[in-house]
Amino acid sequence: MNEFLQRLNALSWDACSQWLVLIPSGVMLLAAAAAAALRNLIHAALCLTLSFIALGIVFIALGAEFVGLVQLLVYVGAVAMLIVFAILLTRPSDLAGAKSPFAGLGPVGGILTGAGLLVALLAFIFSSPVAKTALPPAPVAPVAKIGELLMGSYIVPLQVVGVLLTAALIGAAVLAMEDKQP
Amino acid sequence: MNFFALPVHFVQAPNELKAWFLSLLASFGVPAWLLVVISAVLVIGTIIGVFLVLFALTSVLERKILARVQNRYGPNRVGPCGLFQPVADGIKMITKEDLVPRSADKIVHFLAPVVMMVPALMVLAILPYGRDMVPAELDAGILYFFAVGAGTEVAVFMAGWGSNNKYSVLGAMRAIAQMVSYELPLIISAVVVAMVTGSLAPSAIVTAQGDFAFGFFPGWYVFTPWGFVACLLFYIAALAESNRCPFDLPEGESELVAGHLTEYSGFKYATFFMAEYVGMFAICGLLVTLFLGGWQAPLPFLTIVPSWCWFFGKVAFVAFTMIWVRATLPRMRIDHLMTFAWKFMLPMSFAAFLAAACWHYAGRGPLAWALSAVIVGVPYLVLGNHFTARFSVTNRRYQFSE
Amino acid sequence: MTLQILLAVSAVLFAFGLVAALTRRNAIMVLIGIELMMGAGNLNFIAFWRFSAHPEALTGILFAIFSIAVAAAEAAVGLAIIILVHRRIKSANVDDANQLKG
Repeated sequence: MNEFLQRLNALSWDACSQWLVLIPSGVMLLAAAAAAALRNLIHAALCLTLSFIALGIVFIALGAEFVGLVQLLVYVGAVAMLIVFAILLTRPSDLAGAKSPFAGLGPVGGILTGAGLLVALLAFIFSSPVAKTALPPAPVAPVAKIGELLMGSYIVPLQVVGVLLTAALIGAAVLAMEDKQP
Repeated sequence: MNFFALPVHFVQAPNELKAWFLSLLASFGVPAWLLVVISAVLVIGTIIGVFLVLFALTSVLERKILARVQNRYGPNRVGPCGLFQPVADGIKMITKEDLVPRSADKIVHFLAPVVMMVPALMVLAILPYGRDMVPAELDAGILYFFAVGAGTEVAVFMAGWGSNNKYSVLGAMRAIAQMVSYELPLIISAVVVAMVTGSLAPSAIVTAQGDFAFGFFPGWYVFTPWGFVACLLFYIAALAESNRCPFDLPEGESELVAGHLTEYSGFKYATFFMAEYVGMFAICGLLVTLFLGGWQAPLPFLTIVPSWCWFFGKVAFVAFTMIWVRATLPRMRIDHLMTFAWKFMLPMSFAAFLAAACWHYAGRGPLAWALSAVIVGVPYLVLGNHFTARFSVTNRRYQFSE
Repeated sequence: MTLQILLAVSAVLFAFGLVAALTRRNAIMVLIGIELMMGAGNLNFIAFWRFSAHPEALTGILFAIFSIAVAAAEAAVGLAIIILVHRRIKSANVDDANQLKG
């Protein structure tokens, strides 16, 4: 009986994997556009969280389950909460944005730069021969293999990232501490 | 009928029933992809149904247990021994007026209960309910549990901020600070078990606890020194993650007028309530999987009882102890609980981690057991002494305003 | 589904992040733009890993893991700096932080 069920499950994954990547990608782009454009800061932060969740789902759909789950855990659980706390602690007098949300001389320069970069990137992508490769069979990325590599070939970057995170932790705590009143 | 095959068919009843039903449908010519969808719907429906019934039962049993501890009867009017109380509660919640503050952020206020409920239900997918009874066989199941559980914090913030009420925002910030602080000992305790097992998959962790020492003593991780400490740390952190007493400052009525849930009434409040209980069961399920041997029976000859019965029995026991703790202990102050998390539980979880590593590399023999017991015992005595030495009982010093 | 579609999605996400970082007035919105750009970079890594000739080397996955860790550290320090600057000049706008003295 179990082989029957396993064969059924394997069938479903191949059939819908393309939509499993494209639909979360669409949600992610919409949420990112909202995060960049909304006036209300908290709404922008929540749209950013949605964008991160969709990106995590795209990673899982591409076969990199571990990275997708780490993305959800770190970005949604920690970075998004940090951003929201910082918005609450640096509350501007007009949270809903009565003044213009755009810096300096307006958004025109930034939008032109972004659009120009996007056009250039898309031109490179769609004219490159490398990017025309077909979809290879699904790779396996078992967590045990990732652990072996992290503790084996990639031990030095792992330790460096550990030192970096410790330095960031201590630095952020020292920076945000209250000034001692003289 | 082969009599000796009967126990096997009984203990694997859920799997056998589902396979029989699917093969019946296949014989009617149902296409393969539809069978997959029906299989998934059956599994999801069963799990949600079981846990919602457990939620209903627990809501009335908790009140009755609390009541008996406090020397009074609980709800005993509705139905036999008051067991239909959840129906009465449900009718009340559904028919209550849904008040939304005028200046509240409508979308965020509306979505917060949904965002709270969805992760609470999603984490139930990776728990091994019995032998071969995991709904989703993930290679990194434990990581999935914590990643999806992080969605709860977003929901608490949305509830607090969306209500446009300073008590709600304050309650939400305290709740998030508490949840983030206690996530560290929670995850490190789970990682200790994953390190010793060598896998993040819950079914592999349960299978690794299946051997019996001396032929009869169960090889669960709670019976090792580092496992005992890690289990206690996980249990306390689980109480804090589900915002239960003694860590329920965010929702205590005498503190912040129900904190981030102040402006919720009716069905939305019922959804939060449901999400809290389902989350409590999910984390009890994970505790049972990691430390109490999951669906393994405690003695070799007790494998006659189905594995899913053992799983739910152990979860019921752990949930009972959580209700017992709620009835017994007073609420902790916010600075006390933050100090407890960062200065006691985090170093103890590192000590358990070190003890587990030393236990493994010392060969898992008697020397390893003694070494790991020392490695967790010494920090416990030192830290415990440091934190209790301030609360000495001396003569009171009265202070009056002049 | 070809690699082109994934790279195009990642390029659009990067462009959105760039526009947010360049045009928004609040410093936290600039940080949100930076996080979007780093997310786009991670998507590129995973896309190239998926379509690579030797995916069993797991290089793309490990690079993405380190990138996520570094991005989290950078967000923490950046937000601490924003909070500190807010304490001095009582504003989180990038236009108001225009004095070298402080």
